[in-house]
Amino acid sequence: MREMIRLSIFRYDPEKGGKPVMQAYEVPLLNNGMKLLDALNYIKWNLDGTLTYRRSCGEGICGSDGLNINGVNGLACITPIAGLKQPIHVRPLPSMHVIRDLVVDMDHFFDQYRQIQPWLQTITPVPEHERLQSTEDRARLDGSYECILCGCCTTSCPSWWWNGDRFLGPAALLHANRWIVDSRDEATGARLDQVEDAFRLYRCHQIMNCMEACPKELNPTAAINHIKRKLLARKS
Amino acid sequence: MRTVKEPGSAHSGLSDWYWQRLSAVVLLLLLPLPFFLLVSVYGGSLNQQALLDIIDHIYSRVLHTILILALIIHAYVGLKVILEDYIHRIFWRIPLIGAMLVMMTGFGIWWLAIIWAWT
Repeated sequence: MREMIRLSIFRYDPEKGGKPVMQAYEVPLLNNGMKLLDALNYIKWNLDGTLTYRRSCGEGICGSDGLNINGVNGLACITPIAGLKQPIHVRPLPSMHVIRDLVVDMDHFFDQYRQIQPWLQTITPVPEHERLQSTEDRARLDGSYECILCGCCTTSCPSWWWNGDRFLGPAALLHANRWIVDSRDEATGARLDQVEDAFRLYRCHQIMNCMEACPKELNPTAAINHIKRKLLARKS
Repeated sequence: MRTVKEPGSAHSGLSDWYWQRLSAVVLLLLLPLPFFLLVSVYGGSLNQQALLDIIDHIYSRVLHTILILALIIHAYVGLKVILEDYIHRIFWRIPLIGAMLVMMTGFGIWWLAIIWAWT
């Protein structure tokens, strides 16, 4: 007899109406390195085809399967079953509108990402070849460029829960900082102008849930503090 | 589709953040002093006259003034940030912040009058 894993999964179908429920499932332990996504796939393919969730690459790069796992946000595809207390409670990302089961509406999250204008902005003429960057300047992007926009940090942030309509949230601000520190970007002043706001930036009270939640082990709090220091340096 | 009609940056927040931290440093340095006096009085190493002599001194009055100003600034900014966090309706938020500012200013003036009117 194979070892069984017990899961309790959030179910909600707006077309059927009613309240969301937690549904129990049992899945066999398929192998020692089994991840949570493998268990969800097993349910979907063998037990209950109606279970709905997002997944794509299955290896922590696409950021599709950000979920609330036993109360902590993370990616199902890189979360090992072995370290999880059972029954494993799987819920959609907190404070998000649920479209169905574990699928949430990410529109507002990506809209906030768009607001920080996440592309290289320059005023100098385009050089004949590429815009060069020294090894040291490139190294300053480490810890920022790895972000896959899964939403685990932003949806774990209490400041974003209370003021998500105005506070940009850790993910968008991590990316704002990524362009502020980029040696090739020439819009630093405009970028700082854009975030200098009691709500857009300063709602961050260094709760650090973002750092705990990040499946890529990045530190959005440090990035936000860097923006605050840049603003301070500009004014003093 | 844009889910928020974006009004742009208000260029605010930096001064709140700055004064909150500056006042915190001042409080860290000055707040232990009154507690030190209190412990000395209860410990018996300072009698009433000696305590009054210390409080009466010009340096004490200056430090006392800085302490009260830092305390009021720190409390005002801290509570303002909390109100901004949790009170979402402008109708409530602005009068509450205003009322808090008036009360704290009144308290500060009263306390400073006590410090400097002391003879």
